[in-house]
Amino acid sequence: MHVTLIAFLVAVVASTPVLRGSGRDLDYAAQLRRVLGNFVPPDFSVLGATLASLLETVQIAVMATLIAILMALPFSIAASRNLAPFWLVAVTRLLANLIRTIPSLVWALVAVAIVGTNPLAGVIGLAFYSLGYLAKFYSDAFESVDAKVAEGLQAMGAGRIQAFQHGLWPHAQPLVWSHSLWMLEYNIRAASIIGYVGAGGIGVQLHTYYEFGHWSRVSTVLLCLLVVVTTLDILGEKVRATILSSTK
Amino acid sequence: MILNHGTTARVELRVQGLGLRRGNQWLFRDMTWSAPAGTLLAVKGPSGAGKSSLLAVLANTLASDEGHVYCPDASPGTHHRPENCRCRVGIVFQDFRLVPNGSVLHNVLCGRLGWYPWWRTLAGFPRQDRAEALDLVQRLGLRSFADRPAGGVSGGEQQRTAVARAVFQRPDILLADEPVSNLDGPSAESVMDLLAQTARDLNCVVVCALHQEDLIRRYADAILTLGSSRWQFQD
Repeated sequence: MHVTLIAFLVAVVASTPVLRGSGRDLDYAAQLRRVLGNFVPPDFSVLGATLASLLETVQIAVMATLIAILMALPFSIAASRNLAPFWLVAVTRLLANLIRTIPSLVWALVAVAIVGTNPLAGVIGLAFYSLGYLAKFYSDAFESVDAKVAEGLQAMGAGRIQAFQHGLWPHAQPLVWSHSLWMLEYNIRAASIIGYVGAGGIGVQLHTYYEFGHWSRVSTVLLCLLVVVTTLDILGEKVRATILSSTK
Repeated sequence: MILNHGTTARVELRVQGLGLRRGNQWLFRDMTWSAPAGTLLAVKGPSGAGKSSLLAVLANTLASDEGHVYCPDASPGTHHRPENCRCRVGIVFQDFRLVPNGSVLHNVLCGRLGWYPWWRTLAGFPRQDRAEALDLVQRLGLRSFADRPAGGVSGGEQQRTAVARAVFQRPDILLADEPVSNLDGPSAESVMDLLAQTARDLNCVVVCALHQEDLIRRYADAILTLGSSRWQFQD
């Protein structure tokens, strides 16, 4: 514990150079007042276009999450120590780690380079990024289940697939759906950003307003995003609680 | 080995020269006995004598150190090969091993998983099986819990569910590890009635680890006593 604390303090001291800023003599408080002043009042004339972009953002997130779930299920079975041979677990876990290492924005950039600047690029980019996370979450869920139940069914004649479907899946299922829901929430937030590289969604609009210095319009977009993300958080929390209560 | 449900032409369960060690000590050795079809064999002995281990060897979830177990219907001299006939061995585990958030009825139905290929049970069990499972559940006094998650019912109800699952399998050998340990008198009797009737009706061998002397006297057709590295078989 002490060693960890000392190591952290050393890291903090070593990180102080990043607090120096640009070195220019700026009046930070005045700058903050000026920037925030540009945001108010929000320009609601762009509300219609913003809502349409928001819808597209949610659509990108939903499709990306669905594709990621479909890819992650077999992937995570191959990455679970209690379900797959060691060599397959090692290969799939390494692959999932690699996928997670690359940020969603970079995945979106790659997708834009392949399919052009459109929402499909966003779907592809987010689907691959989510695959890395869901594969890990799902395999952790499968490994956390008491393997004795599935082994018991196998000892009584059930095949491996039957033991998985009837002995392991019912127990892991709530966790799997809970993680999937979290991924959807994450993807809606991420889909708001990937528009910066041309992968569709509200990010495209945000980027345009920012480039042209339309801060009052940026403000409208951010307010709409806030409403959507907060609503989703509350809904997600309720749905997740319902799902997880079925395990008790 | 071909599965033949409902067959009545079943033969004995036989062990020959069976031995099992725990560490350097033999739990039992040179064990040879046979139990004819339709027999309820009670295995008794103090805790740690090797009752559960013997049942695990019979279920082939634990390898013996010497000797063989012969499967019913197997050709003479053929070793017990449960990878081929596991679906013919029903097991009531001491820790039940039920699917906790599956319903009681679903857990009972799981006894028949070995009857079907995986794709046949992908969308559920045949309607006939569900009806039969409901009958069995009713008989064990579990009808009002049938749709409740197995993890949400009492220990005694879970134990009866585990017994129902093994009986529903219609096995050739039914191995029950202390199947009445959590039950009150009347419930224990109803479970033992069911096991004895299963042995008779399905013409199968029921091997039951038991502590209760009165139940052993009343239900057992044969008794295997384990203890201090010795064993004794009484018809």
